[in-house]
Amino acid sequence: MKKSIIITGLMLGFIAATYVVNASESYENKGSKGSKGSEYMGYSKSSKGMKYTVSPANDPLYKAECASCHFAYQPGLLPSKSWKKMMQAKELENHFGTDASLEEEDRVALAKYLEKNASDKVKSRLGQKIARSIPKNSTPLAISKTKYFQHEHDEIPKRLIEQKEVKSIANCIACHTTADKGFYGERDIKIPNYGRWDD
Amino acid sequence: MKRFLIVLPLLVSSVYAVELNTQMQTYMAKLKATAKSENPKFTNFDYARGEEIFTSKHIGKRGKLVSCTSCHTTNLRQKGENINTGKIMDPLSPLANAKSMSSVKKVKKWLRRNFRDVYNRLGTAQEKGDVITYIINAK
Repeated sequence: MKKSIIITGLMLGFIAATYVVNASESYENKGSKGSKGSEYMGYSKSSKGMKYTVSPANDPLYKAECASCHFAYQPGLLPSKSWKKMMQAKELENHFGTDASLEEEDRVALAKYLEKNASDKVKSRLGQKIARSIPKNSTPLAISKTKYFQHEHDEIPKRLIEQKEVKSIANCIACHTTADKGFYGERDIKIPNYGRWDD
Repeated sequence: MKRFLIVLPLLVSSVYAVELNTQMQTYMAKLKATAKSENPKFTNFDYARGEEIFTSKHIGKRGKLVSCTSCHTTNLRQKGENINTGKIMDPLSPLANAKSMSSVKKVKKWLRRNFRDVYNRLGTAQEKGDVITYIINAK
């Protein structure tokens, strides 16, 4: 009995959380700054906010398994070919220098989720920008190895990336304060021991 | 017979300071059986051997000197921090984190991953049992 009350509470909480995410998404969709109202892949093209936006990663298994070690990179940040390669069993045994091997059923489920929501399946402005910077014959596993990513981050001093509050360029949420919601816009950047970043 | 049934769980649980749940006790019993079959001199899991496994440094998967404490720290009731990503992790000690050491699936996964990360090989049944014994008893 007690257990079922707890489970119901958790479910309600989860539904509420989903609403909050959706609400903030639609806020971003309206794009307050300089919107000319033109549509691109279903989004407002010139909205400054949308330019750096990707669908949030909401899958509970993904959050539990992958985000226990690192930031929950949204599947829309990489094309499906990258996720497919990354999620192979042999590849996961050496995942950026760490063993990230999974139970087979979890590996298959996560690969499916990531591929289904990849940048070539669920379109977003940010996902398209990254995808277009990837050569046809290349399958990057690190988002930070793509040309677009590197171009966007090339002016940031090394010391700000290597400082203990950030650790590496892969730690999105350390500076992009709304990265967990899929918003990577400039106005939400706050670099530790530096402050706002105006390009 | 009845008395024996009452005494048996007491004997099993008294080995560990923090009482493991049923699935974990079954897992520990399996590890013990395997450890015995692999080493005839084996008698029981050992806290001190577990502590050595947990705190000693080894050339890990990345070719660098690391130990379990590199991320989990030497105080298992404190939160740890992933040395590569900076992600904060919950305390390993069940004294501070009731969820820890409660899921056989998770324990198996992390023992597999972390032995490879720190030792660049898989752990033996004895090593796994020793390090679990250390983790659940470490003050």
